[in-house]
Amino acid sequence: MKKRYIIIINILIVGLILFIIVKYANDRAGESNRASIASFEKMTTTTEQIIANYLEDEQHLCDIWSNYINRSAEAGTPMTVDEAISYIRKAKISPEISGHLIYIDDGSMKGISTSASNTDPSDYSVNYSHIQIFENLEISNVNGVVNLTRAYTNPLNGVQSIAFLNNVKVLDSETGAMRDGLIIRVVPVSRLEQKLVFLKGEYENVEISLIDWDGDYMIHGKSLKNSNFFEYFKSYNPMSTQEFNKVVDTIRTDIGSMHIRNSKKEDCVIAYTPLSGLESWFLVAYIPASELTMSRSIDWFLLGIVSVGLMILLHFNLFILLKFNRELAVAAEAAKQANEAKSHFLSTMSHDIRTPMNAIIGMNEMILRDSRDEEILMYSESIRTAGNTLLGIINDILDFSKIEAGKMEIIGVDYNFVSLLNDLVNMVQRRAEEKGLNFELEVDRNIPRILHGDEIRIKQVITNILSNAVKYTKEGSVIFSITGSRCEDNDDYVVLHVSVKDTGIGIKEEDLDKLFVAFERIEEKRNRNIEGTGLGMVIAQSFLNLMGSKIQVESEYGKGSVFSFDLKQKVVKWEPLGEFDIAFKRFLSERKRYKVQFVAPKARILVVDDTEVNLKVFVSLLGKTEMQIETADSGDAGIALFKRNFYNVIFLDHMMPDKDGIETIKEMKECKDTPNQKTPIICLTANAVSGMREMYINAGFDDYLTKPIDTGRLESMLLMYLPPDLVVRTEDVTEEEKKIEIMHSILVVDDDINILRQVKEWLSDRYKVVVVKSEEQALAYLEKHEADLILMDDDMPGQSRFDTAKLIRGHFKEISRDELVLQVNKFFHD
Amino acid sequence: MSKRFKIVVSVVITAMMVLGTVGCGQSRKSAKEFSPKYSKDTEYKLSVVGTYSNFESLESAFERFYAHYPKGEIEYTYLDDYRNTIGQALAGQEPPDIYVVQPWMYGDEQYAPLFEGAEVLSDPKLEIDLDCIRSGVRWEPDNGEVLALPVFATSYGMLVNRDIFDKEKLEVPKTFEELKETCEKLKAAGYDSPVMGANTTTTPGIGYAFAYPMFAKTVKDDKTKEADLNNLVPSAGEAMRDSLSRLKEFVDCGCIDVKKCTAEIEDDYNAVIMRFFEGDVPMMLCSGDVVSGTKKRESKSEAFSANPFKYDFYVAPSGDEGGYYMDSVSLLFSVNKNSESLDMTNEFIRFLTSEKELGLMAEEKRLITPAKDYSLDEVYASLSGFPEDRVISFSDTEILDTAVKQFRAAAYSVVNGEMTVDEAVAGYGTIPVD
Repeated sequence: MKKRYIIIINILIVGLILFIIVKYANDRAGESNRASIASFEKMTTTTEQIIANYLEDEQHLCDIWSNYINRSAEAGTPMTVDEAISYIRKAKISPEISGHLIYIDDGSMKGISTSASNTDPSDYSVNYSHIQIFENLEISNVNGVVNLTRAYTNPLNGVQSIAFLNNVKVLDSETGAMRDGLIIRVVPVSRLEQKLVFLKGEYENVEISLIDWDGDYMIHGKSLKNSNFFEYFKSYNPMSTQEFNKVVDTIRTDIGSMHIRNSKKEDCVIAYTPLSGLESWFLVAYIPASELTMSRSIDWFLLGIVSVGLMILLHFNLFILLKFNRELAVAAEAAKQANEAKSHFLSTMSHDIRTPMNAIIGMNEMILRDSRDEEILMYSESIRTAGNTLLGIINDILDFSKIEAGKMEIIGVDYNFVSLLNDLVNMVQRRAEEKGLNFELEVDRNIPRILHGDEIRIKQVITNILSNAVKYTKEGSVIFSITGSRCEDNDDYVVLHVSVKDTGIGIKEEDLDKLFVAFERIEEKRNRNIEGTGLGMVIAQSFLNLMGSKIQVESEYGKGSVFSFDLKQKVVKWEPLGEFDIAFKRFLSERKRYKVQFVAPKARILVVDDTEVNLKVFVSLLGKTEMQIETADSGDAGIALFKRNFYNVIFLDHMMPDKDGIETIKEMKECKDTPNQKTPIICLTANAVSGMREMYINAGFDDYLTKPIDTGRLESMLLMYLPPDLVVRTEDVTEEEKKIEIMHSILVVDDDINILRQVKEWLSDRYKVVVVKSEEQALAYLEKHEADLILMDDDMPGQSRFDTAKLIRGHFKEISRDELVLQVNKFFHD
Repeated sequence: MSKRFKIVVSVVITAMMVLGTVGCGQSRKSAKEFSPKYSKDTEYKLSVVGTYSNFESLESAFERFYAHYPKGEIEYTYLDDYRNTIGQALAGQEPPDIYVVQPWMYGDEQYAPLFEGAEVLSDPKLEIDLDCIRSGVRWEPDNGEVLALPVFATSYGMLVNRDIFDKEKLEVPKTFEELKETCEKLKAAGYDSPVMGANTTTTPGIGYAFAYPMFAKTVKDDKTKEADLNNLVPSAGEAMRDSLSRLKEFVDCGCIDVKKCTAEIEDDYNAVIMRFFEGDVPMMLCSGDVVSGTKKRESKSEAFSANPFKYDFYVAPSGDEGGYYMDSVSLLFSVNKNSESLDMTNEFIRFLTSEKELGLMAEEKRLITPAKDYSLDEVYASLSGFPEDRVISFSDTEILDTAVKQFRAAAYSVVNGEMTVDEAVAGYGTIPVD
């Protein structure tokens, strides 16, 4: 895991812990807040009870006054206004409280008071006509309940007061008539406020307000601006009319609390409750929210300690982690160096073995070609077999190193299954025959012809299994069978069942596990004369694993084994394979000794290699092509020739002292003064480790050829790069091809070398096939040669310069062998 | 003296002058900032009583004052029946520290205690910056002692629906002729009564708002008429002729449909505002006090909430050369010199007496500031830079309340066709008032 992920995870864990702590603390604080608010609401209802009781008491005292006066009237001895006021003056105890008695039956709202005017001590008259406090009261019929006015200014002393009312019947001393009067018990608001002083002990900033139905104040908290609470609320708490009405209704009908914003946009809490016993008075207790939340129960100290502790732990972990990382980095560096050393070793080993092998195999090839002595030929054939075996061992080691390094990739391409089988059978058939084994081939004719997959690796897997079967079978047979069935869960795929059955030595049950262990060979002693590295099955199994499959082994010790696997392959063309046996038998009958593919006396070739014997091998192998081959034994010598002479193709060795192939080609490419600016340069290398091909192409080579040189591949490559006009196919001159001469000649034009190669392979057994890469090359060829048919790929531009009667165009990449053969046959038949 | 030397001397002198000017500016600026006289920990409790049932702009000033003196409390209380109760309150056990007075109270025996008990605010010891008040609204009785601080100024004129004028591509009229032409165009555009107003005898009423400033200008131009007018001498009624004639012409030319006004505007305050907010009245005659109620009522008017529009206050274009701007005092504060917290009361008044505080209060109350700098409230932007020769300041005339009531009654009678101009002029002193 990368360091940063570990750090991120640590930080996330620390963050999570802190989050949980904070959330817990916040939840606790929330609970605490809710408890505080509940407590505040409780205080509000307690206060409401105190106020309600007080108001009720005051109203009761007012009622006592009125009852006394009214009882006198009922008893037939009604009191005059003066007598009534005189009574009240005696009855009231507190000097702050006064009693007013006014006439209401004539609407004058005038009367007299128990107290004199502040400005005129002799004036006891009182006038309520300009004081609008009775609008919402039914003053002519006050009955029993608390009848309270809003806070107003006492007209006799200018003090803000509240009034308790009741009706009285009094005698008008002037007229002798009974009059309807209103007795008013006037209590200063400050007296009520004094009842609330106790709250200051509990809540420092609480403000109690008493509001009426409309929101006007009887007692006004100092922080609540505006003369109307609801207007104040609306001013500083913007909301829709609907929401506002809901809030007003809530305050008027419910007991509870809510958060509001005050004029400074601060969060505040109001608790509200109706005053019991009064119809339309409400108590509103206001307090800044900060006072209620001051007692938050978050233990910031504990939180801080935990945070610091976690941070220290995090840093300690990171420190330890970094320390281990440093050690790991050192170990990784050592491992990397060891791996590089191993790669270097493999590269060097591959190169160093292949280089002399090139000479051995090359020279042996010359013996095989030139010798007519059967005994020498037999010795030489043994050298070829041993050489190929040694090459196989080297290739296995290289593949295994790739697998170990995780660099082995499965590369899917469209491939012809017949071609794959051809190659396999071609390779194994000879070995089986050499050992006197009966090689049987059972191929399901319904297997689709064109599949998609890693052809090379599949071939390698089957080759390994078949090689083992041949190697470990002394007598009897090797049966190679392949069947195919449509994949059940996906119609586009076919499942190939590959099985190799032999009558070999078999494997003990206890040894089966060793089969797929690297460098492990079963019954080493018994089989020591059988060459091998112990890697073949490991590599095969690894490739199959990469392709989603696995080798199954059934074996009976001493009787033989069956190796099989199922492989899922995507089908490109469902066209069935047909009778492979027939095609294969024809192939066997046509197998013959080496013969040169072409002669090109005018072709000029340069080959650069520091090993003299390799130069000699190269020249010898191509001797029969009659080409003009020049050699150079170093990069510099090669560059000198490169500058001076024209060549059609240049072969350049990679590993050379002083100036290697890469440096040499770089200098060649930079050289402007040379006739070889467009000459293809092919790398000759004994280095066959992974990633080489990319490296050579990137370095500027057109292609590369591994050592030991395979003559067939070398000639094919030359046919690819040499101008067609310089090439004369050997069929023209061989005895056998006198028959072919009367055969039709076909010129194939395509810029894709692989397609050219494939088309040539398909048609060469019946027709004389010449392939060219461009229209220009085709025209150049046609200047000197005849072609009965021109096959030209659809992707190639232009056709006007060819004889359209001889031209067939097609998309050869997608065409099958049979289709093409059919088309060509039809052309000539018609 | 070399040329280079001269240049150096010139540069030095210029720099000194610039720096000196900047320095002077800074000292002047800093002098305007309120600097508390007393300790921040001073505890106090002050009370202010007044005639406004709702005085949020003052309560906002309290909060700004608390920033300087946090350990105190100032309470504003509305007194019912202020005319009769303020005297009682001052004589009572808990007299207010600050109380509202109005110019008409001065000279009235009933209110004599209000002025006798008032602190002299012009006393240099108090360091109250009365210079920030416009001279026109500064109230300095004969002895030069300033007993009350003007808090708000007001005027008379009309609210103009700017959206209608923009829609009809009309300019707000400045002269009476322009008013008539504009009204013709507005009527053609479908506005039956281009001008509306409360058909009352009160100060925001049609007659007073339109014609009184013109009448006051007449008196200002000929102060000899003032005494007779105040003494209700019938012949003094002649001073009303020009303004009443213009009022009659205003009604007769169809600028205003008085019957429509009577039917649709029930009172001289709330109904005026709510009718104006209906959005179909191009011009609404009113007083500055009415304008002060507009801000609160914008949200109460469903019509205005649904279709808000831009509106401004303009002087009514009653004169041939233009309208007349009555720069009147709306409200004054006096300090009770017997206050138990006299020092802090004076400190609060000193705090309040600044262009900034008076401006902020006026802006919040949407009244005209008495300070030299007009409120930033764009509703009153038209008053800024009003020609001096057509401004009638509070101190320019001393028309007593009784004379004013005669004019209001006369104007109402003329507007409603109950009297001709001649009858109204002839009846001066005996025209029935409420």
